[in-house]
Amino acid sequence: MLINFTLNHKPVSVDAPADITLLTLLRDHFKLTGTKEACEVGECGACAVLLDEELVNSCLVAAPSVIGREVITIEGIHDEDGNPNDLQRNFIDKGAVQCGFCTPGMVIAGEALLAIKAEPSRLEIREALAGNLCRCTGYMQIVDAIETTAKGRAEKRNQEKRER
Amino acid sequence: MAKFDYVLAKTMDDAVRLLNEPDLRSIPLAGGTDIYVAIRVNPIWFDRLVDIQRIPELNEVSMENDEVKIGAAVTFSHAIKNPILQKTAPFLVEACKTIGGPAVRNCGTFGGNVSNAAACADSLPALVCLEAIAHLRSSKGQRQVKVEDLVTGPHQTQIEPGELLTHFTFKAPPDSAKSCFIKIGRRKAQSISRLSIAVIGTVDAAGLVNYVHVCPGAAVATPVLFPKVEDVLLGKKPDKETITAAADRLVADMIESTGRRWSTEYKEITLKAIAERSLTKIFLEDGHHVN
Repeated sequence: MLINFTLNHKPVSVDAPADITLLTLLRDHFKLTGTKEACEVGECGACAVLLDEELVNSCLVAAPSVIGREVITIEGIHDEDGNPNDLQRNFIDKGAVQCGFCTPGMVIAGEALLAIKAEPSRLEIREALAGNLCRCTGYMQIVDAIETTAKGRAEKRNQEKRER
Repeated sequence: MAKFDYVLAKTMDDAVRLLNEPDLRSIPLAGGTDIYVAIRVNPIWFDRLVDIQRIPELNEVSMENDEVKIGAAVTFSHAIKNPILQKTAPFLVEACKTIGGPAVRNCGTFGGNVSNAAACADSLPALVCLEAIAHLRSSKGQRQVKVEDLVTGPHQTQIEPGELLTHFTFKAPPDSAKSCFIKIGRRKAQSISRLSIAVIGTVDAAGLVNYVHVCPGAAVATPVLFPKVEDVLLGKKPDKETITAAADRLVADMIESTGRRWSTEYKEITLKAIAERSLTKIFLEDGHHVN
């Protein structure tokens, strides 16, 4: 069936089977392999994407249910020049990436949190990451990266206010 | 070849019509968090998913007079943020917070949680305590069933093929009511309830219990009220001894219902503890919940 939606800010249209998940649609039909396939039962968060700005596990979303909606994958998260954005740079700087498999989902979950909560507490960050499993880092560095990004963005907003 | 088809229902009438088309096994799709897990392990039992997520009425929480209405496609994230539910059913909100992680709560719905009818479903104990009514619609008409009766066994309900669970209603508890939900899982998030309990109650001017409901989750085959436990409390001062007597009664009733199973050794101790803790919380302390 024809599936029309907005993918990483661009309108797209694809003919795909009705019985696949959004995860399969992204990886197999759009070759966007940044979204990872792991548990496939909504436990691990490796397949997390933003659907209409909300965090979802793409392994549990019916592909045709995104018709007319907006999907952002890790490929859609970057600076204007295409380089890693502040959150992604902080993941690198804080050592929040080891094997890297959970990283796309972690970054997406971090962005989902920062979109609704500008300055989250460490507890709130941990709760926002509760559905994303990492077997390497022990989470502390990931929490650090998101916390540092929140502070950086707040500082930037304040500076912009002062300049105005 | 796709193993099943998908169709989007735009209105309630649309959904009921699509679910009742002959020679096609159609089932409703809301958040997908149970269906897409189930089809990985079970043979596919339907021909078509009827997507009900975008039907406006099914996404509403509202209150008219004293009656609270929750649409079947309302997600747990929506419920957590909803002021009507925060005020009238804080223990239901607490239960929603314990479900999965943020991504699951953004998709998972009340209609799905109830119709999937897992023994450990986290929204069920509070809905049963609230004496919530499930509203069902099909081409034959409408009917209402108490949530407690709707669930007939683990993963079994009275919902007929072609029937759409549209919403739940419950009478808002009195303002003086205090409620509590406790869940025991293997970790704080993304966990399946090993055991849970929802309790709600009030005391009269003399400090005697005049309203109480107790519903444990994952204790017996379906989430039900325990009238004999409530009888231990009703008309009494809810002191430590009475609460312990009620908790003991609950454990005895659970074992009477299930027999002594492999998990009983664990559950009898744990259920007693969370029953005491939740009843203490609502009758002897101020708060709504502990976790």
